[in-house]
Amino acid sequence: MKFAHAFPASLALAALLTMGPATGFVGPGPAHAQEPPSASDSGPPKGLWLTTPYPMLSAQAGEEVSIDLSLTNEGLPPQRVTIGIDGLPEGWTYEVTGGGRQIGAAMASPDSTRDMTLKITPLADAEKRVYEFEVTATGGSQDIVLPIAVTLTETQPAQLTLEPELPALRGTVRSTFDFQVEIKNDGQEDTVVNLLAEAPSGFEVTFKERYGSNELTSLPLKAGESKNLSVGVKPPESMKAGQYPVQIAASGDGATAQSQLVLDITGRPELALAGPGGRLSGNAVAGQERSFTFTIENRGTAPAKQVEFSSSPPSGWEVAFEPEQIEELPSGETAEVKVKMTPSEKAIAGDYVVSLRANGDGASDNASFRVTVETSTVWGVAGLGVIAAAVAVLGFAISRYGRR
Amino acid sequence: MFRQREGSPFRGLAVVALKEAADHMTSMRVHLVMLLILLTALGSVYAAIGQIKETVGEDAFLFLRLFTTAREPLPSFVAFLGFLLPLVAIALGFDSINGEYNRRTLPRVLSQPIYRDALLTGKFVGGLIIIGMCLLVLWLLMTGLGILLLGLPPSGEEVLRGIAYLFAAFAYAGVWLAVALLFSTLFRTPATSALATLTVWLLMTVFWSMLAPLLAGVLAPIDPLDPMTAVHQVEVQQAIARISPNVLYGEMTLGLLHPETRTFGLLFPSQVSQALMGAPLPVSQSLMLIWPQLSSMIAAFLVLFTIAYVSFQRQEIRP
Repeated sequence: MKFAHAFPASLALAALLTMGPATGFVGPGPAHAQEPPSASDSGPPKGLWLTTPYPMLSAQAGEEVSIDLSLTNEGLPPQRVTIGIDGLPEGWTYEVTGGGRQIGAAMASPDSTRDMTLKITPLADAEKRVYEFEVTATGGSQDIVLPIAVTLTETQPAQLTLEPELPALRGTVRSTFDFQVEIKNDGQEDTVVNLLAEAPSGFEVTFKERYGSNELTSLPLKAGESKNLSVGVKPPESMKAGQYPVQIAASGDGATAQSQLVLDITGRPELALAGPGGRLSGNAVAGQERSFTFTIENRGTAPAKQVEFSSSPPSGWEVAFEPEQIEELPSGETAEVKVKMTPSEKAIAGDYVVSLRANGDGASDNASFRVTVETSTVWGVAGLGVIAAAVAVLGFAISRYGRR
Repeated sequence: MFRQREGSPFRGLAVVALKEAADHMTSMRVHLVMLLILLTALGSVYAAIGQIKETVGEDAFLFLRLFTTAREPLPSFVAFLGFLLPLVAIALGFDSINGEYNRRTLPRVLSQPIYRDALLTGKFVGGLIIIGMCLLVLWLLMTGLGILLLGLPPSGEEVLRGIAYLFAAFAYAGVWLAVALLFSTLFRTPATSALATLTVWLLMTVFWSMLAPLLAGVLAPIDPLDPMTAVHQVEVQQAIARISPNVLYGEMTLGLLHPETRTFGLLFPSQVSQALMGAPLPVSQSLMLIWPQLSSMIAAFLVLFTIAYVSFQRQEIRP
């Protein structure tokens, strides 16, 4: 088998080695393709071949099957070859395409290979068995016959699997839960998969390619292919602590796959400190105590414990809280706290900022309270006194020296 | 000792005041002074508007900036008034009593059923009427020019502050009118009284700011070992400086027209810790801030008038 190492087309080589009988062979002629060249035992083999990679294949009734054909001419002059089919069962249709259009004949140029595609459509209700027919290439220096066997089989149902890497994640309402899910098409058919999710109301579920940023609703999946998806679940901020299941599903071509993801949401207290009437400003008189009623609210999902109040007042000011500490503030509840502020005696008129802080176990909030200090009216009265004294002097002068 | 007469001492006050005001209105001297003040005020306002248009992007108190913005070489409107208002008051008052003596018209007036009280008060009120009219006209002119050239109306707070400023300027001019009136009763020749008033004016306007630190240095020397003496000296110096009506006028202007002014005196760091500097005070607080200045101005004016009154009542008026 000296010729084997020099054979140019590896596809045809495979066909020769494994499927010897299926290779189209040459009719009566001087150059016998199937055997080593008789005339010379040196140099490449000469001849005309029609080959296909898989001459025995299976197909489904009613569905088109494509067979790749190669016409190889080695060392012969160019010749026109008509392509035809013999023995195709009745009702089956076929077409040969090459170079993008339907063809009936091909030109075999010297030392080159023409690629063609044979498309065969079996009858929809054909019997499930082996059908044999021949592809013929006639008109050239040789007539070539390529036998092909097609086995019609039952349609294999599509099969999808959906497998999360880590099916349960834990986090707070603020975090985004990213599940890594592998989707696999175990069927024999390419399919387009729709992605679905069923989550408690308010949860947002997004499908993304892993390392991708585009949100998906469906994706094409070839037979046997698997893809990695990232399923992001965002719980609503108001969600209470607990475990929440999220069902995800993939469906395509009659196959579905399901998987369950679990979100374990841990609760968290969140404090909000608000000024009197929602405002964060107030008035106070220098040196005089003034009480403001603040409200503290736990907007989180877990109770806030040991909420302490503190402040950083301007120097010389006194700020006291009543109560100074709240033992426990359940989720969603509000409590009132009285803030007693005494601006310094020496505070000048105008705005000061007092920052107040509520510090609980794991949660805190601070508020900048703007206090407009008013000066006491004592000096105003003193000014009036000065004027009154001047008027008294004038009055005395008039009564003493008046009406002259 | 003195024979008391019957009836109100202020009978005929309105007649004298209105006559006095009318005399002023027709006198060449007042015309000249008014022309001067109008021209300078117009010029400074026009310059201020130009400056504001060029430089100020956004300001909550744009209208108040009209009063206080200066553009080289002109001073601001308030600085102009601080300088010119005393001159107007002196021009109105320096010969009000001794002029009558010299024209020998005083006995003739007093032979009418008018008391001396009413004559002196009437002359004073007449001067105040003229000053008041002058200020009002200037103020309205400014506001009108501001609306016209800036294209926006003043806010309520700006109007309130503007009116308060108008009153403060009126009290300031009143003090100088009282000074001029006092000297015109004390001195028999108008030239002397005019010179005396101008001397006081120069002293208060120009020299007082130099004298106050000197006096404070003498009265409250600084002990290098005690930092509080430095504070004390500054306080003394400020108290002495406040004898000058010009200083009081300047502080009132600052407090009223710059709403972010919170105090005039020394500030310790403890007082400004966590204070929002630059936040405007409410009008009531600004008024509280300048009230001592305003009340001392009013008191000064009353005291000066009382001295003039006593001196006039005790004078021999027969020629």
